[in-house]
Amino acid sequence: MSDVMIRLDEVHKRYDGQAGDAVAPLSMEIREGEFVVFVGPSGCGKTTTLRMINRMVEPSGGRIWIDGRDVTDVDPDELRKHIGYVIQQVGLIPHLTVAANVGLVPKLLGWQRDRIEARTAELLDLVGLDPAAFGGRYPKQLSGGQQQRVGVARALAADPPVMLMDEPFGAIDPITRARLQEEFLALQRRIRKTIVFVTHDVDEALRLGDRVAVFGEGSRLVQFDTPLGILTNPADDYVRDFLGSGAAVRRLGLLNVGDLRKPEPADRLPLRVSSGDSVHSVLERMLRDGADRVIIEGESTEDDRELTLRELLMAGSAR
Amino acid sequence: MPFHEYVLRNAHRIMFLAAQHVQLVLLSVAVATAIGVGLALATERAPRLRSWLLSTTGVLLTMPSFALFGLLVPVLGLGLGPAVVALTVYAIFPILRNTVTGLETVTPAVVDAAKGMGMRSGQRLRMVRLPLAWPVILNGIRVSTIMLVAIAAIGAAVRGPGLGELIFRGLARIGGANALNEALSGVLGIVVVALLLDLSFVLIGRLTTPRGLHV
Ligand SMILES: Nc1ncnc2c1ncn2[C@@H]1O[C@H](COP(=O)(O)OP(=O)(O)O)[C@@H](O)[C@H]1O
Ligand SMILES: [Mg+2]
Repeated sequence: MSDVMIRLDEVHKRYDGQAGDAVAPLSMEIREGEFVVFVGPSGCGKTTTLRMINRMVEPSGGRIWIDGRDVTDVDPDELRKHIGYVIQQVGLIPHLTVAANVGLVPKLLGWQRDRIEARTAELLDLVGLDPAAFGGRYPKQLSGGQQQRVGVARALAADPPVMLMDEPFGAIDPITRARLQEEFLALQRRIRKTIVFVTHDVDEALRLGDRVAVFGEGSRLVQFDTPLGILTNPADDYVRDFLGSGAAVRRLGLLNVGDLRKPEPADRLPLRVSSGDSVHSVLERMLRDGADRVIIEGESTEDDRELTLRELLMAGSAR
Repeated sequence: MPFHEYVLRNAHRIMFLAAQHVQLVLLSVAVATAIGVGLALATERAPRLRSWLLSTTGVLLTMPSFALFGLLVPVLGLGLGPAVVALTVYAIFPILRNTVTGLETVTPAVVDAAKGMGMRSGQRLRMVRLPLAWPVILNGIRVSTIMLVAIAAIGAAVRGPGLGELIFRGLARIGGANALNEALSGVLGIVVVALLLDLSFVLIGRLTTPRGLHV
């Protein structure tokens, strides 16, 4: 059991002049080296929660500890120098070069120039940008994906134990986003930071998180579990709805065939489907219910047809 | 005497007055820059005071300069003093307004990210916000400068320094020998000074705009 890195205790936030809580009292523990994703609909308080951790937003109540220290005991600017922070808009400083942006926090910390230069080059390398080619460029001379890589490098500059990431890949085209996600996962396997990552995209949450916190309206924490746990046992209808259709197929993505045990033989009821349903949705439902046959309903009972899973696969195969 | 001959014969005096004119304008603009930028920064947390200052300095700008110079004479006497004060009053508004606008147009996400990295408020101002707002602020200073070159001519009415003297003296004795040439040389001098100052602002802008902003 690893140590707790971030602990929230009844943390809540109500913005001035607002009737309800933006974040209702929330308690959770995040372990060292864990990649936790907050997911939920827009406006449910994910950003506010994240920003309370580095005190960009002051909580209305409750307490937050990082590595055993109450964050309110630390000067906020000092605190932030030791927490990586990445936002969707990236926010690179436009009049500074890429290298200067990445080296900013070390400079604020008073590092020697040589050390900053070495660190900057190392980090650009780490996020897949050639330091010689990109270090001297300005943010405007980079693509969205490249800017986001610089944003990540900048957040890692002082080797902070904790990274807060607010929809970092949100504004990027789907192909680049998928690549950045892959690369970031590979990076995380090497650097083992404690990461809190916010997204409204369920797929992204399930792909990246060691554990996923699903938030509902009013920042209600509905479920906090591993992706497999959430897909296998959604806490309630809200989570089931939020996962949407395709949960059963997605769950397969998290299982390896070696993990499977031979099931007990059991009588399974056929699934009743209508002729207009897509093969994909029928397979998804068969997988979810463990059905091995479907009855395709016709105009009347005599017109019903039955197909087994095997026949369905053969008929649907591309060959 | 033809105009060009007049100018050649009086080149020394015209140049001297032009230099005085430039000094007067630059001195006033420098004071106004300190005040305008200072007020914009001081009122960041006081939006009501800021908009009051903006409208007040804006209204001052509509006051006829002749009247303002006249009002200042009983208080400050004749000469350099009232000229600098009056010109400064005029120059504040464009600088104040552009500093406010310039700071407002800095992308909030950039400032937010800077704060999130642990930059203190003074560091954010010095290292992020002012450099990014600078082109807009500089443009305010430029507008004020060019405006003052024209208004400063009126300063001669209160014995202020500068090219206005040529115009006023020339007009006062119109019909006399070379009176028109004298007034005309003042007017032309002002146009040339304005053009040269404007050109130097283009140059200063080139040299001081951070490179990352115009790549
Ligand atoms: N600075 C603010 N002032 C007032 N209300 C805010 C502020 N920031 C967010 N809110 C409100 O708090 C709620 C949660 O917002 P946010 O944390 O941004 O949600 P999310 O990141 O999940 O979309 C929303 O209703 C939003 O309108
Ligand atoms: Mg958000």
